[in-house]
Amino acid sequence: MSEDSVKRAEDILKGFQVNWICLRDADGGKIFWQGSDDISYPDIEHEAHVPKNILQCRAVSREFSFSSKEQIEKFRLEQKVLFKGRCLEEWYFEFGFVMPESTNTWQSIMEAAPESQMMPASVLNGNLVIETKFYNDDLLISTSKVRLFYV
Amino acid sequence: MMGLLSILRKLRQSPEKELRLLLLGLDNAGKTTILKIMASEDVTHVTPTAGFNIKSVVSDGFKLNVWDIGGQRKIRPYWKNYFENTDVLIYVVDSSDKKRLEETGIELFELLGDNKLEDVPLLVYANKQDLPSSLTSAEISEALGLHSIKDRVWQIQACTAINGEGIKEGMEWACKSIKKK
Repeated sequence: MSEDSVKRAEDILKGFQVNWICLRDADGGKIFWQGSDDISYPDIEHEAHVPKNILQCRAVSREFSFSSKEQIEKFRLEQKVLFKGRCLEEWYFEFGFVMPESTNTWQSIMEAAPESQMMPASVLNGNLVIETKFYNDDLLISTSKVRLFYV
Repeated sequence: MMGLLSILRKLRQSPEKELRLLLLGLDNAGKTTILKIMASEDVTHVTPTAGFNIKSVVSDGFKLNVWDIGGQRKIRPYWKNYFENTDVLIYVVDSSDKKRLEETGIELFELLGDNKLEDVPLLVYANKQDLPSSLTSAEISEALGLHSIKDRVWQIQACTAINGEGIKEGMEWACKSIKKK
């Protein structure tokens, strides 16, 4: 990398922040959990305590709000749902352009697995992690981890 | 209310696996409210968008992405970054904002002139029909000169985003226009 692109990467990292994360019932839009404390600190695993009945929802959504001071050209994310470290589900999303001084949201909505294939809350409890990595092209900007507890 | 999953189900016959709807319009037109209504969310605390809001829905391997881009004057120059691969352009107009009718028309025709949006079906939502001072969808259509649009299919739909009225009808048209392509 040239000196310029190193500087640019540093500026993007410095100016990037995850503002909040939110888990919802996608049917009525009811919020199950919203985290906004320390969410911008990387490498901290957040804990989401959600009611067990989230597993009965026909569809659930995950939403992120993030801000960037710098313009980003090739913004993308990789989201994985990990059960004891094993990947159950992945999302790749290409945003492309992010405006300078912007605040943006991305929400992914998915249908739940049929009940017969769903693991019970007692098995999932504390073993499920939603890991989201934000990139500019190949540059890792930020990682967010949320561990789910079903109460 | 219809919900994004049911919109996606309607689109399953489409040859494409991933579809993109783009919501544009001046600031305060109601784009974010429409996006939230599509997802059955509460719309009492919508704030101006200083960037974008995206909702991605997946079902049976089909993906629908709805992009809502902020409409403030200073960020409109960035709109062009979001045109590519758009399947339907949804343009939202505040029907009560007579002062900015000309401005919203100019912005719309600038979009229609862009190569990346060539042939893309256009849905215009004449929003805020609940306000007594609002123009009807026919009046908005006339004022914007929609009848001069010959290079694509288009539709205007009266709506009141805050209570969801008319949104479903508009989305049904949007789904049909995608299938025809």
